[in-house]
Amino acid sequence: MGNVDLSSILTISLFAAALRMATPIIFATMGGIFSSHTGIFNVALEGFMLIGSFFAVVGSVQTGSAYGGLLFAIVACLIASLVFAVLHLELHANPIIVGLAMNIFAVGMTNYLLTALLNVYGVYKTDLIVGFGVVNIPIIQNIPILGELISGHFPLVYFAFVSVYIVYLVLYKTPFGFHLRSVGEKIDAAESIGVNTKKMKYYGLMVSGLLCAFGGTFLSLSYLTMFSEDMTAGRGWLALAAINFGRMRPVPSLIACLIFGFADALAVRLQQFGLPSQVVLMLPYLMTVIVLFISAVFAERRKKSMQMKQNQIEIASPL
Amino acid sequence: MTNTLIEKPKNSHKWKENIVNVSAQLINYVLILLISLIIGAVVMSLSGKDPISAYAALWQGAFGNKYRFADTLDRSTIMILAGLAGSIAFRTNIINLGLEGQLYIGAFAAAWVGFTFTNLPAIVHIPLCMIAGILGGALWTLPVLYLKMRWKIPELVPTLMLNYIAIRLTDYLIAFPFRDPTAPMAGSPLLEQTARLPKLMRGSTINIGFIIAIVLIFVTYWFLFKTKIGYELRMVGLNQQFAAAAGLPVKRSIILGMTLSGGIIGLGGALMIMGFFGRFLGGFSSGYGWDGFMIAIIAQNHPFAVFPAALFYGALANGALTMQSVTGVPQAVVAMVKGTLVLFVTVKVFVENIRKGLIKWAT
Repeated sequence: MGNVDLSSILTISLFAAALRMATPIIFATMGGIFSSHTGIFNVALEGFMLIGSFFAVVGSVQTGSAYGGLLFAIVACLIASLVFAVLHLELHANPIIVGLAMNIFAVGMTNYLLTALLNVYGVYKTDLIVGFGVVNIPIIQNIPILGELISGHFPLVYFAFVSVYIVYLVLYKTPFGFHLRSVGEKIDAAESIGVNTKKMKYYGLMVSGLLCAFGGTFLSLSYLTMFSEDMTAGRGWLALAAINFGRMRPVPSLIACLIFGFADALAVRLQQFGLPSQVVLMLPYLMTVIVLFISAVFAERRKKSMQMKQNQIEIASPL
Repeated sequence: MTNTLIEKPKNSHKWKENIVNVSAQLINYVLILLISLIIGAVVMSLSGKDPISAYAALWQGAFGNKYRFADTLDRSTIMILAGLAGSIAFRTNIINLGLEGQLYIGAFAAAWVGFTFTNLPAIVHIPLCMIAGILGGALWTLPVLYLKMRWKIPELVPTLMLNYIAIRLTDYLIAFPFRDPTAPMAGSPLLEQTARLPKLMRGSTINIGFIIAIVLIFVTYWFLFKTKIGYELRMVGLNQQFAAAAGLPVKRSIILGMTLSGGIIGLGGALMIMGFFGRFLGGFSSGYGWDGFMIAIIAQNHPFAVFPAALFYGALANGALTMQSVTGVPQAVVAMVKGTLVLFVTVKVFVENIRKGLIKWAT
């Protein structure tokens, strides 16, 4: 290990890999932000993504196209999020418990179908699965460093970053987004101005299902073209940490996703340098705890400085 | 309606009300169980399997003869402990998603004591291993507690992250420092004979761990409902602000609830290693922490209700293998049935309607 120097680890391809690793987390995060703004902490992101990646593989084999796979994933995830929504909004079940049960259900269902439909245990990998091709951006791909970093990715990587912008636009620049956010912030006020709060919660959950379908599809049809048991490996939970870090705002949450993606990529890279994989693979999860910790420290500081400012104002004006 | 609000209900009324409530709950559970089994059956039929023979094989595998039944009780041991661990955390209003990780750390700690210390009499060695398991599980909750108490980070994500870290940490420990090259798969050295739990019956894996689990059900009940500390813990769980205003020790209760939860599941891991596996095996838990979480929800966090729920889960775990080998139906279908069951238990509308129906029917 002594001959490992930083320059051979921190290469441009590492950062490119970080963008790739961050992609599924970004999709789940953006989806989670949508439902969080309606006041529902969606812990089922993990399960939705798993369902998405399974049905993406099924769809890809059935239709012979990666986009067909994406379509299958979207339909499956929308059904799953509809079930979540009905259980919570119509039958008043606790959303956290429903979410956790959906995660468990998703693992069971995908494992069952893996064996019952596809006749394999654990991993499904055949040449029949059609993955996405990479996109080489003209002109940019010939620029030295930049080309290696941002060209030659899978289409969903670009779409992940576009989705951040779309989510930002929808949430902050449209009346729909304003109504949606009002449900999470002050539900009484939202109702008093005639917002159909239940409908908004449905939208929030369905959009999180939709975006998780993209995340799941990316996992099974891009870098790897296969499905393996529990292949999301906690990425849905990293997304929840990212939402917490960014306090439900798209762009700051994106930063957390990139940190997690980097930790993931670094873990893979360090393994190649002979560090024990068991230790190295802890990295993304440790990083998540650290990110939560840092965001909590900053939150407390912000609170303190706001209190200080308030005190100053009170001193300035005794009224 | 207004009269009932003013007049206090008489004892006889209360008695009747209790019967209605309990039977509504029972009917609800039977219905939910049926729905879950039917959903499982539909999925099986859709994928071209015969659900009736599958369920029959499941039943045979779990209760077919006295050895199978004893094995089912043995599988229930870990389920009981996991369910109690989940219940205590829920009672304190903590969502402990880290049961799985605490299980691994507790199991490894017990295994370490089991294979490191030699020449101890069993009467010392066995309790020592169990204490190690409890401490391992309890200590693994401390980082989460620090983040929760000092920095107000909800326990949800950190507990879950520590699961992944615990599994990889124990994988590392048995791959390098404590590797046993003679183990059939990645595992620690075998425990000393003095650290193994005595068996209760020839031809079955059932051991005194099951009795410990049963005793612990009563201890947990006594602790939660008959002691002052348990009362404080429940009050903090019901309404933290109210408990704080009433001067109850909120911080202490949360710390206690979390560490007890971790300690109990850690003990569960210890009992599995000492009674069933005989050594620490990498990835030995097939989601027992998650089972405990579900059992606690199904039992609505009541220690006595944990027993039937755990028995049911133990039967599913034991019968599923038989089902898979006899009928070729993948055992993952069991996980689906479990997930559906929990989904419907959380729906309170059903039980309310049944209760109303019962009252109408009775009057």
